[in-house]
Amino acid sequence: MNLAPSTRLVLILCQIALAFFVLLPFFWMFSVSLKPATEPFAIPARLWPESPTLDNYVTAFRPEFRTYFMNSLIVSGASVVITVSLALLAAYSFARRTLLILTALMALVVLAQMFPHSAIIIPIYKVMRTADLLNTYSSLIIAYVSVTLPVAIWMLRGFLLKLPVSLEEAAAIDGAGPLRVFFEIVVPLARPGIIATGVYVLIVTWQEFLFALSFTSTKEMRTLPVGLNDFIGQYGIRYGELMASSVMVSLPVIAVFFFLQRYFVAGLTAGAVKG
Amino acid sequence: MTTKDRWIIWFFLTPALILMGVMLYYPMIGTVIESFYDTSFISPEPRFVGWTVYEKVWNSRQFPEVVWNSIYWTIGVVLLQNVLGFFVAMLLNQGLPAQGLLRALVLLPFVLPGVVTAILWRFMYDPQLGLVNSLMIWLGLFEDNAAWLANADTAMAAVIFVAVWKGFPFSMLIYLAALQNVDKSQLEAATIDGAGPWRRLIDVTLPSIKDVVVVNIVLTLILTFNYFDIVWVMTRGGPQNATHIFPTRIFETGFGQFRFGEAAVYGVFSILILAVLVALYVIVQTGASRRRPTA
Repeated sequence: MNLAPSTRLVLILCQIALAFFVLLPFFWMFSVSLKPATEPFAIPARLWPESPTLDNYVTAFRPEFRTYFMNSLIVSGASVVITVSLALLAAYSFARRTLLILTALMALVVLAQMFPHSAIIIPIYKVMRTADLLNTYSSLIIAYVSVTLPVAIWMLRGFLLKLPVSLEEAAAIDGAGPLRVFFEIVVPLARPGIIATGVYVLIVTWQEFLFALSFTSTKEMRTLPVGLNDFIGQYGIRYGELMASSVMVSLPVIAVFFFLQRYFVAGLTAGAVKG
Repeated sequence: MTTKDRWIIWFFLTPALILMGVMLYYPMIGTVIESFYDTSFISPEPRFVGWTVYEKVWNSRQFPEVVWNSIYWTIGVVLLQNVLGFFVAMLLNQGLPAQGLLRALVLLPFVLPGVVTAILWRFMYDPQLGLVNSLMIWLGLFEDNAAWLANADTAMAAVIFVAVWKGFPFSMLIYLAALQNVDKSQLEAATIDGAGPWRRLIDVTLPSIKDVVVVNIVLTLILTFNYFDIVWVMTRGGPQNATHIFPTRIFETGFGQFRFGEAAVYGVFSILILAVLVALYVIVQTGASRRRPTA
């Protein structure tokens, strides 16, 4: 659509304002992470340190941080693999059959994605305590798989509904059993949906805080979000190290997200807009 | 799949269904049961006490605070996030030069982990060192070391602002997808009829994306009501309980004070409120899909 030059100018100014609103905190986080611990804070703040250095990153990459990082990697990685596998199996059943009971079960799946985690955490905590799973990876992985399953099933079901059934039927006529049809036809075709769902699970579990805070009490088992929260007290106002840690926590998800963004956006909006 | 292969449906479904049953549906019931038992740090053995804990919570000074704060918080975030998300979606749908780049950059806050967001903004709000007060000085608005998060009058607004900053990209994504489905010929026809941008927005765009708007609002209502990490890391519910909402109160009562019964009562109340919101969502969704011709 053609815009009048004055309107165009106003809109471009709006875009610049938007970019500032979104990016300024990121820029500030990065800038402070490069500020030497010896350089005092200017009041009002200075946007870029006088002599930027990577020292804060070296200090912040301490043994504890590495432990937290590994814990997050293990817990999130396992959750992504398990959730996506279980969700794909379930979504396939939901997408390929129209039984009344399946419709009812799907409604229960959609309902479950709205459950408040804070309201169900106490019974889950007690289950974990009884099973002697507190302070283990298993407690977090089980919890994360459970809470990400509903949305994952919903996303993958939306994806499978759009795939043509004819290929599966042709393979079945050629004598392929249902398991072969699933693994050799459905799984490869569903790849974009699998990636989108994997990104979703990664974003959610990489930053999950409530379960991690409640189920882990030892330093050895803490994940990055909880560890980072502990740093607030430990670092006092050593903001340089705190910001360097924050950058290191955020970079992996931001990188993955931008690499796989188009899959994720397509998966999310298709489900949300098309219903 | 043929009918004789029906076993495979259940074979594929069982693991997911068992997990969700044990870890999501059972705890929902578990919380209700828990709310009728009293446990405390001194007597950790649960005792059945009927409605006693409900009375205790209902008559406490904290309960009305939590209800009021949750309303303030939820409505504030949902309203601002959707308005901002909608207008940014409009802005990034005009074919301006930097549109593609901005559509990607705007998603950054959405991906930033919640705890990182909270820590970053705690620092932004720092009275002396923070960027917020420095910006105020540069812009000549006022020169004062306002302690946004330590002041009970401003803390909630400050936290709402952060939640909106992190949340609006999500709303924007969904609005953008809806805007791209708006019938171009209708917009052009309205332009030929002499409708300006506002008239086009009100007469053509809004009616055709109405369903998405309503679903988006109810969805963000549910998500916002359940929010925990940003509020907890930024304020721990303080100062003077000014930012305590249901999730932070439940966590503090349960895992801070080990009063599981009381925490469960707060949990039951939040489930009831959510049930109303979910019912709203279901009504809106079925209404929306009934209106869609090709659903």
